[in-house]
Amino acid sequence: MSTVSTPGHRSWTGAVKGWTSRTLPPKQVLPERQPAYVASWIYVFGVLTLTALLVVVASGLVLAIGGAVWWHTSSIGHFTNSVHLWSVELFFACMVIHLWGKFWMAAWRGRRGLTWVTGVIAFVTSIATAFTGYLTQSNFDSQWISGEAKDGINSIGVGAWFNVLNPAQMLMWHIVLLPLAVGIIAVLHIVLVRNRGVVPPLGDEGKEVPR
Amino acid sequence: MSIAFTAGKYISWGVVSTSVTNLLVIALMVLVFILALVLPFPHAHEAPPAPHGEEDPS
Repeated sequence: MSTVSTPGHRSWTGAVKGWTSRTLPPKQVLPERQPAYVASWIYVFGVLTLTALLVVVASGLVLAIGGAVWWHTSSIGHFTNSVHLWSVELFFACMVIHLWGKFWMAAWRGRRGLTWVTGVIAFVTSIATAFTGYLTQSNFDSQWISGEAKDGINSIGVGAWFNVLNPAQMLMWHIVLLPLAVGIIAVLHIVLVRNRGVVPPLGDEGKEVPR
Repeated sequence: MSIAFTAGKYISWGVVSTSVTNLLVIALMVLVFILALVLPFPHAHEAPPAPHGEEDPS
């Protein structure tokens, strides 16, 4: 097959390819070896959070296919609903322990400021996603929560655009917009972790693998 | 009335108010955090150096 290229003019595909391979060289994507300091339980909670997120998304997809009547009335629907709830509980517990570990480790050291910031955004976006989840249960619980929440939302002046009494709007926020945001931020966070490397404990900066 | 009975027990401390269940979950998370710091990690040993020609980790 013959190919055509324009000398002196880089294509946008070539620019993206170059940027991608510079940002995340193939050997850094899934490394087989890690610095010795990573062998500690406190370094496990990031990947546990990610694992819980995958279960949250998978059970959420099943709930979306089944629908509200299914998750309220059938045994398997109840089970899937519980899997969704408890994987969210584990997701938040692991994320908060991960946050504690990284905060007291000052994990923003070594040009990792953006990794820390994307983690904070992921945390806040996840809270918003969980809150809209309470509103989409389609039971008396969600009805009561939305009735209480509307006053808080109106008090900050966004009730006209973010109407917690509108179940369809909250459903779209919960199963489309916010999960998409959490997913994108989580991917960015992981790419930055792989790009900058796992942060060493305080005082062990010398053991970090040079990049 | 039945809702009030199933609402659980709450602890109030000034402006802070939390259910006993939530307090237990937070205490459990703190315990897991401490255990993660002090418990030894299994098979935590130095791996042999990378074979010649192979780049070092991550």
